[in-house]
Amino acid sequence: MEYHLLLLSDRYPMYRFILKRLFLLLPVLLGVSLLVFAIMSFTPGDPAQLILGESAPAEAVAELREEMGLNDPFIVRYASFVGNAITGDLGRSYSTGREVFGEIASRFPNTLTLATLGVLIAIVIGVPVGIISATRQYSLIDSSSMVVALLGVSMPNFWLGLMLILVFSVNLGWLPSGGFSDWSSVILPALTLGTGSAAIITRMTRSSMLEVIRQDYIRTARAKGVAENVVINRHALKNALIPVITVIGLQFGYLLGGAVLTETVYSWPGVGRMMVDAIRQKDTPTVLGTVVFLAAAFSLVNLAVDILYGFIDPRIKSQYK
Amino acid sequence: MKYSAKTAIAVALTALLAGCGGQEETAQVRDTLIVAQGADAKTLDPHATNDQPSARVAAQIYNQLLTIDADMNVIPDLAVSWESVDANTTVFKLRQGVKFHNGEELKASDVKFTLDRMIDSPTVAHIAGTIKTVDVIDDYTIKITTHQPFGPLLYHLTHTASSILSEKAVTEAGDNYGQQPVGTGPYKFADWAAGDSISLTVNGEYFDGVQEIPNVTFRNIIEGTNRTIALETGEVDVAYDIEPIDKDTVRNHENLQLLEGESLSINYFGFNTRKKPFGDVRVRQAIGYAVNSQDIIDAVVMGSGIPTNSSISTRVFGHSPEAYKYSQDYEKARQLMVEAGYADGFKTTIWTNDNPVRVQIAQVLQAQLRKINIDMAIEVVEWGAFLDGISRGEHDTYLFGWVTVTGDADYGLYPLYHSSAHGGAGNRSFYTDTKMDQMLDAARESVNVEERKALYSDIQIQLQKELPHYPIYVGIQNVGLKKDVKGFQLSPAGHHKLKGVDFES
Amino acid sequence: MSQQITADTLPEAVLEATRSAPKKRSQWLEVWQHLKRNKMAMFGLVILSLVVFAAVFADLIADYETVVIAQNLSDRLQGPSAQYWMGTDEFGRDIFARMIHGTRVSLMVGVLSVAIAIMIGGTLGAVAGYYGGRLDNIIMRVMDIFLAVPSILLAIAIVSALGANLINLMLAIAVSSIPSYARVVRASVLSLRDQEFIEAARAIGASDTRIIFRHIVPNALAPVIVQGALGVATAILSTAGLSFIGLGIQPPEPEWGAMLAGGRQYLRHAWHVTTFPGLAIMITILALNLLGDGLRDALDPRLKH
Repeated sequence: MEYHLLLLSDRYPMYRFILKRLFLLLPVLLGVSLLVFAIMSFTPGDPAQLILGESAPAEAVAELREEMGLNDPFIVRYASFVGNAITGDLGRSYSTGREVFGEIASRFPNTLTLATLGVLIAIVIGVPVGIISATRQYSLIDSSSMVVALLGVSMPNFWLGLMLILVFSVNLGWLPSGGFSDWSSVILPALTLGTGSAAIITRMTRSSMLEVIRQDYIRTARAKGVAENVVINRHALKNALIPVITVIGLQFGYLLGGAVLTETVYSWPGVGRMMVDAIRQKDTPTVLGTVVFLAAAFSLVNLAVDILYGFIDPRIKSQYK
Repeated sequence: MKYSAKTAIAVALTALLAGCGGQEETAQVRDTLIVAQGADAKTLDPHATNDQPSARVAAQIYNQLLTIDADMNVIPDLAVSWESVDANTTVFKLRQGVKFHNGEELKASDVKFTLDRMIDSPTVAHIAGTIKTVDVIDDYTIKITTHQPFGPLLYHLTHTASSILSEKAVTEAGDNYGQQPVGTGPYKFADWAAGDSISLTVNGEYFDGVQEIPNVTFRNIIEGTNRTIALETGEVDVAYDIEPIDKDTVRNHENLQLLEGESLSINYFGFNTRKKPFGDVRVRQAIGYAVNSQDIIDAVVMGSGIPTNSSISTRVFGHSPEAYKYSQDYEKARQLMVEAGYADGFKTTIWTNDNPVRVQIAQVLQAQLRKINIDMAIEVVEWGAFLDGISRGEHDTYLFGWVTVTGDADYGLYPLYHSSAHGGAGNRSFYTDTKMDQMLDAARESVNVEERKALYSDIQIQLQKELPHYPIYVGIQNVGLKKDVKGFQLSPAGHHKLKGVDFES
Repeated sequence: MSQQITADTLPEAVLEATRSAPKKRSQWLEVWQHLKRNKMAMFGLVILSLVVFAAVFADLIADYETVVIAQNLSDRLQGPSAQYWMGTDEFGRDIFARMIHGTRVSLMVGVLSVAIAIMIGGTLGAVAGYYGGRLDNIIMRVMDIFLAVPSILLAIAIVSALGANLINLMLAIAVSSIPSYARVVRASVLSLRDQEFIEAARAIGASDTRIIFRHIVPNALAPVIVQGALGVATAILSTAGLSFIGLGIQPPEPEWGAMLAGGRQYLRHAWHVTTFPGLAIMITILALNLLGDGLRDALDPRLKH
């Protein structure tokens, strides 16, 4: 069988696990598209009217509606969307006339770059701070780092974004204030995105570490005279990592789709803003395309996280059935 | 593990610092003019959209048959001369030797193709007005025939939607034409990073002289504050629509300058005359006396507006200085309320979309009307639902704006007040008056300039008496630029042409 | 929108906390005792009490009609002074008065949207967990779908379909967090459903409804409370985010998020317009998080000394 070329036999369960998860993704995506289609169809606002703008004679609106196929029954329109989507055709945007798939493809790398760097920043800050806090529970360092971390989640992104621009672009003149030029333009948006996630990762790391530190085998290791930093780094951290990775994965998923405010403040041409602009234009094909795409990306990230567990903790592998 | 965490931090820090240093390399060779505006263009097919961000880019790529100069006169562009054969027919002579960006020469057949396509496009057909047929007489002569005499025809042909396209380019590109436009303008389309920027390069064969600056980039910077910041940090050379609060920052900056000018846009407060109590002219007039436009202008747009007596800007052909201008007079307002039977006031609502300027205007209006016991709740409605709702007449009162892009009164008055334009076409106060309809029709169908002026004057005088809309202010538009950007001229319609712009060396 | 805190971010320990037999009054007392020892949590509680105090007595501090919404156009964008403690906004309104009244709306949006989400999400989760099988599958798949639809789309849909007002705003914020409460409650219910005391209730003929609402729900409360405290924080942030894209509260009603978003263009010219609402949001959310964390620690038996 060709499978054997791809997968060693002892990985076979993992392979089945992935297939099963991908298969389960389909009904969710179908449901998402149906829900979005219904939302776009049954909320007020006429796409034809929006395209035509402020001065649109009723006949022009009617003509355009007919041309766009908006007068067809809901089911017919939805079925034709699904039919086309299966062949990879997500249709053309109502407002720009562009192919939705092409535009997502051209913008997604921007979103991915931003989310990846945002999550990296969050990890770089969150994991060490979380470990330090946990090893010195209730100390001054613990309290103050928790407060600082929490301030990160407590600040609305757009506000933080504007502040960072004022400091780093206007006053210091170090970094561009927005747009997408070279890689230096990604730093501020990534920092803005990352701080929120950093706080969440810090907290998760801390509580997860605290839990592990109290386990028997850690006490045993300590009792055996193993050096404290070895106990923490070798034994505790590895076991504490699993929930932390879940959170990192979730955060990454959210950053992929939830960076709308940051993207707006920095005029970052990502998929999130494309989606919001489209929602406001009642640009159904674009909304459907972006939402389904982001939902799929989110699920795939979660799947990747689950797979990663297997590598960290071999015991979990046995659960892939 | 601890070690690796440390390394990671070190790497990240190095990256950050390197990023900070890398900044200085840019901004040396100035071969590109970077222009920032608040939204990305939708499509560069002029027949597929009627939005300003698109028009601002398209204005560099295309020419129309005619254009408007800074003093609002219609002047030749691709047409060198024109002649009225009779009330319904005009013959245009085209400029010879004009090349499209794809190398094709401009012929009368392209003009016919363009105008026919325009009439067929539901998006912009109404801008083509009453054009009935377009006939090619020879390669450089074209005849336009209208259904009825159409006074504003020449103005309509200056609209960006009337840009002349290359038949070959449009046919070849098919559905993708909007992303690969071909025109005759001073710059040609080069690249489009969706949501971020549009790049143009100079047209080396432009009929009216080749531009000095080889490249133009239009950048999309959504937040107003950030456009000013980008101008200050030197990331852009020109920024459209500086926020009113930032105007002084730009004015007082050593490297920057601010251009301002009266625009063709107005903001108005409309009443749904079909609903009680707004069917009563005394109530509308009472509101006219209760509102203080200057306060609104000062508070909301920091003085970037001019109180007005008309729904069209003074720069528009046909504006009448004789129409009555309301000024705040609570005594008169209260008296009119008493006469109308609302001595104790009434409750109503105002619809606005989520445009922050409009939401703020609504708040000042709300406070002003409270003084004559009108308790007006503010309904902020999301744009799609807003347009839908006010076109159906679900509102009591509403805030809206209008840009008389063509520069002719017809475009600004007919859709707003003619009873045939109820709802989505523009008359969202559902104002209905036979005499008004007749006057608007007569002014549209007259081709006599003086007669049209007189008619429009009567129309505006009548409208200020009837007050289906209270015109709040005429907008003052602005552009912020670096001091070394020379030759920039504001277009009253807002579609500034970059032709003639150069860096001072 | 803003960060979301979901069931998955809660340590397993919290869920496990509920597995230990039915809670009695004394156990809640024990939780309180434990919470009292946590200085950070108490700090959070004190701040929250102050915020609630401001909300309750807002009318005594500043009159709504004559101060909070009264415009004074000649005093626009004034800095803090003896007359205006936190300065004035773009209409010359007293920011301090608006901040005080804003606590009401912000807290109400925060608390009620979470309450709505808990009621709907909790019920769905309890039903799914208790009955299991096909019903469970259907409910949870639908929840997955809602989780995958961006909250901003749901919010815009609700606001544009039902109109923008306080209730719809709360609904809009609630909808997107329903799935996470459903998950938390379902997880607790799953762990409780086969416990002895439930078996016992069933044996004496208690109805399903009674078992769910009298026995299971009270015991599944702990993780919901923790998540709820954090959820209020998220909801306040979401309101600010919605205001940023123009879908906030109806003016002239004061609300922190709307004040923050609305003042952003004055950030460089009149710092006080955004700074005070921004700080209020930050401090309140900080307090909620500290309290939430404290509750989590207090409810987690294994973290107790």
